[in-house]
Amino acid sequence: MTRQQLLTELKGLLETETELTVESNLKELEEYDSLSVLSLLAYIHRTFDKQFSARQLNNIDTVQSLIDLIGADSFNEQ
Amino acid sequence: MSNRWTNLLQNKTIIVTGASSGIGRECAIQCSKQGANLILVGRNPEKLRVTLEHLDAGKHNIVTCDLSEPEQIAAINDELIRYGPVQGLVHCAGRQKALPLKAFDMNEFDNLFRINVSSGIELTRIVSSPKAFDKDGGSIIFISSISAVKTEKGKLEYSATKAALNSAVKTIALELAAKSIRVNAISPAMVKTPMLDSLFSELPKDAAEKINERHLLGIIDPIEIADLSVFLLSDLSKKITGSNFIIDSGYSLT
Repeated sequence: MTRQQLLTELKGLLETETELTVESNLKELEEYDSLSVLSLLAYIHRTFDKQFSARQLNNIDTVQSLIDLIGADSFNEQ
Repeated sequence: MSNRWTNLLQNKTIIVTGASSGIGRECAIQCSKQGANLILVGRNPEKLRVTLEHLDAGKHNIVTCDLSEPEQIAAINDELIRYGPVQGLVHCAGRQKALPLKAFDMNEFDNLFRINVSSGIELTRIVSSPKAFDKDGGSIIFISSISAVKTEKGKLEYSATKAALNSAVKTIALELAAKSIRVNAISPAMVKTPMLDSLFSELPKDAAEKINERHLLGIIDPIEIADLSVFLLSDLSKKITGSNFIIDSGYSLT
């Protein structure tokens, strides 16, 4: 997966009209609530086969920090 | 006059699933204190042996089985017949899951349904056969959840499985009444178990605190579920069937 694909998937997952970049702060999005966190956890598990807790996800803010949590090696471009 | 509240399960053989930890382990322990012989069912033999070490003396046995696999349930049939006839079953095995509608996945739901609903029904089908169950009847208990009647955002799949289980309890109670087998559900809110510890470690701190606050009388101890299970397994409750007993520490009032 590329970072751009992740941004597209996130936009759909969060059902937001806001255009996302790796600098976007997820916590500033109106749509980023506790249910979105649960959805995001399931998405990461299904897509990257990695399991995180809601508490771990609570520590991330930007899309880049989410990418860092998932691991840069999960993305096939730098 | 003898005390009707001692040795409530003397000489009864009781199957407990999910007996390797949490509610299942505590149910097994309290049943043994009331004189029951236990058949402990679970996936992990080492953990089942730990439960076994906590039991009062009796003719106890361990049966290793992954209840999400129908073939494995069928395979334990002979063992249950050998250790029986049984007078009771407490089905505690199950799995928690937090997932909202937009993350719903049919295959994952089917898997959860199998673990939380189908496996218990299939086990009941096998256990309630004349070969395995006492001809004078007995009692079957499904450990359900308050989520079946008081749901929350993000509990779609879990709540749906537990509501299905409660509905199944009524039908099974109707069908097994002719065999004098009583069937009931116990629906707890949050219980102090390894499953809860794991859930709390995953939740944001404020969410965990909110859950605590909504248990007006405190988070439930497994022994409080076990005590009700003992009563429902005993002859003291011999006219109670098809019911759902809520132990929620006031959670559903909030």
